[in-house]
Amino acid sequence: MSEPAIQPGGYALPEYAFAVPPEITEGRVGRYPLVIIGAGLSGLALACDLAERGVATVVLDDDNTIGVRGASSRGIVYAQKTLEMMDRLGVYERIRDKGVVWSVGKTLAGEEVVYEFDAGAASASRQPPFINLQQFYLEWFMVDRIVELGRTDLRWKSKVVGFANRDDGARIEVETPAGRYVLEADWVCDCSGVNSFVRDSLGLDTHQARGIDRWCISDVRFKQKLPVERWTWVEAPFNDNRAVWQHLMADDVWRMDFQMGPETDLEHVSRPEVAAERLRRQLGHDVEFELVWVGPYSYRAQLIDSFKVGHTFFMGDSAHAMSPFGARGGNSGMQDADNLGWKLALVLGGQAPESLLDSYGAERRPAAQFNIMTTRRTARFLQPESPAEKLLRDAALSLAREFPFARNLCNTGRLSNSFIYGKPPSSQAQKHLVRNASVGEAIQNMPVTLPDGKKGALVDLFRGAAAFVGIWSDVDPALSPAVIRQANACAPLLRMLELNGDALGLSVVRDRGGKLGDALGAAGDRPMFCLLRPDMHLAARIVNPSPARVKAALVAALRDGGIGSAQ
Amino acid sequence: MKTTLNFSDHDAFYEQLVAAYQGLDQAQSAQLNARLLLLLANQVGDQAVLAACIEAARRPFVAKVPTGV
Repeated sequence: MSEPAIQPGGYALPEYAFAVPPEITEGRVGRYPLVIIGAGLSGLALACDLAERGVATVVLDDDNTIGVRGASSRGIVYAQKTLEMMDRLGVYERIRDKGVVWSVGKTLAGEEVVYEFDAGAASASRQPPFINLQQFYLEWFMVDRIVELGRTDLRWKSKVVGFANRDDGARIEVETPAGRYVLEADWVCDCSGVNSFVRDSLGLDTHQARGIDRWCISDVRFKQKLPVERWTWVEAPFNDNRAVWQHLMADDVWRMDFQMGPETDLEHVSRPEVAAERLRRQLGHDVEFELVWVGPYSYRAQLIDSFKVGHTFFMGDSAHAMSPFGARGGNSGMQDADNLGWKLALVLGGQAPESLLDSYGAERRPAAQFNIMTTRRTARFLQPESPAEKLLRDAALSLAREFPFARNLCNTGRLSNSFIYGKPPSSQAQKHLVRNASVGEAIQNMPVTLPDGKKGALVDLFRGAAAFVGIWSDVDPALSPAVIRQANACAPLLRMLELNGDALGLSVVRDRGGKLGDALGAAGDRPMFCLLRPDMHLAARIVNPSPARVKAALVAALRDGGIGSAQ
Repeated sequence: MKTTLNFSDHDAFYEQLVAAYQGLDQAQSAQLNARLLLLLANQVGDQAVLAACIEAARRPFVAKVPTGV
């Protein structure tokens, strides 16, 4: 076998050209409705979402490529809600074609499987529960889509070096290869990551808590076939009985993630020859492989107090950070973008009051708190902090071999799912197949027949400009004239449809498989109207609906997202 | 949390509990404690009741905080 070395071959990341901005060529201070800082997952998702909705933005990024420098990958698991958003934005097919679809996860202790799940069994979405993909590919596909949509001013090699909030927006100083310039924005969204300059320059406290846990990633390419499943060892015999993660990504690259002792010399354990020896202990000494990337990490939890300060929003890691367990970092950043995009589009378009923007933090900060709590629980299971905790974990693992109940205690990560807005943590169940969804809950991307007769999925009703979808079911045909009048008056902001029937004379969405009716709670025995927001979360369910009650629900949804007021 | 007698046969329970530790060393006894604890907790199930039990069990080891009144 040849000397171990890092061989990032196979990855050729795109480089994007820096263009001298008009602020420099024309010597003026530009002013823009919305500037997004940071072209990572959340920043690109927001820019793409707004471009799809017809809103032009400026994006500033200090680099000229996607991903972290080098061939490393940060996030690898993209969950269903993220994938559904990517479907809406026209990026999903590339993700599916490049990535690895999976749904089975196994938790092992020693040689034994102590816990196993198959998230696919409880999914009704057009998207699978999970796709694994190197983060930079997802960013790459979003950049391509943003360029294709042609509404976004992507400014590479543009580093924010000065920032001031003002009453009516913000002033941003940018450093580029062609010199510095200043631009102004009515609104700013800071998506610049865990070390955000904007956040820190405003002096916002992140309430940081650092863990003692240390890990070392080895991304590895080899010919041996392994099952396309998420395997997590709580105690791996080949890693001194510490935890190990095994996950497939695109290009036949596997993510092997090894827990290290708290006192580990991170520089030593990430040397190629040390990483290679670790992999041989796992895979056997006769397996040939290439190391694609090796890197140590630790993690922290942090959360800012307010996701909106003046006219500046904070999104993704700049607002909240957590350990990687359960893939809640990148996926929650994307859900932040899914939440704010339509609100910004409606407010910038003059269709909703500015108060709607406050609902972003009101909905997404509790989601971040929940994610931090959830990942902290996993971390605590994986890194017992006292002999007593270790004893309890040993008991859970030993019982898990005998009794089903204890398997659920073996917590190697609760995988990211969409947050139910307006509900406390105890109501955030790990479920995918929803019946009679709560107000605030996301409706899966169910298969439907669209009004034009084509087979599609729910997300197809939400493409283009930000719009609500209202679905009537089992309503007295006598209401038809009033409903049709209201449908015409509310278009295009609210798209009115009826489920399965044609009693009202509205366009019809047909449920293929009955899952949509189940999720909406349309049981066929009561007249109902469901209001879905542009992010596919349920804003209101009205039994015995009237146009007046529907109007009130829409007004509430435009004022504050509709969910808080529905509780 | 129930604080009055709920056992169907408390003396038999205690006898059987004590007997379970016979022949076990300290480490094994600690493992038995932990296994039994998780098994019993799953019988209770309700998180509010479990939280009250955890708090009550911990009471002797927690410094009393003056209420300030």
